[in-house]
Amino acid sequence: MDSLHAIGFYVSAAVSLGGGLLVAFLPTRALRGLAVAISGLGIVGLYASLSADFAGLVALVCYAGCTLLLAAPQYRVMDAPVGMLWRQAGAIAAAGLFAVLAYAAFRGGFAHATFKGGEIGSAAIGSFLFAHDALAAEAVGALVLVALVGATASWRVRERGR
Amino acid sequence: MSVGLVAVLFVAAALVAVGAFVASWKRDLSAALAGLPLMFGGAGVAFAGAARFSAAGDPKIFGQGVAALLAVAVLALVALGVGIAGRGTSR
Repeated sequence: MDSLHAIGFYVSAAVSLGGGLLVAFLPTRALRGLAVAISGLGIVGLYASLSADFAGLVALVCYAGCTLLLAAPQYRVMDAPVGMLWRQAGAIAAAGLFAVLAYAAFRGGFAHATFKGGEIGSAAIGSFLFAHDALAAEAVGALVLVALVGATASWRVRERGR
Repeated sequence: MSVGLVAVLFVAAALVAVGAFVASWKRDLSAALAGLPLMFGGAGVAFAGAARFSAAGDPKIFGQGVAALLAVAVLALVALGVGIAGRGTSR
């Protein structure tokens, strides 16, 4: 990886992690949505610096959708009946998760291979998704269908109940 | 300045941990959904990094394909969560 891609990687990592931390601490939906958008842009930048341009394009569209959904003012507030102690325990568990994953990454013995790609390679990815790994693509398609039907049904049932 | 698989996995682990932190820290369950894109993004970055630096043989697009599938899946899950939450007051 050349220096330009390396700089892009580290800048994108800082943007995505900074946006993620902002999501945790910003109080309003609009600001949280903006933070999700910033974090999503950082993740797209990570994909681009890792020569995963097609995944970056798909992630750009999907994270824009997530931003619009999470920043929308219509959805209901659902407060969890969980005290501050459990939330702090969850935060400590998240830090422990990072420590375990970072240790596994640091201690792991990985094989190194030469990368010859660089282009988007949409034809190869389409062949991969719809021929080689068609079952996973169909599973995600089924998940999208169930999620959209479930979301629509939930909204309609609640609207009818009013 | 260079980037290796360990650096990519460090960033991916940090993204997953930040997503888990958001999901556990937010009192509003609808707002806690915002942790999902971060966690799935971290997993996607790990797959893309493994394909970029460590995949042996061709094709090297396995990680990229999984990352794209994860992005679509997280959009579906956030839509489902917001749909279940339903309409209500803004905060």
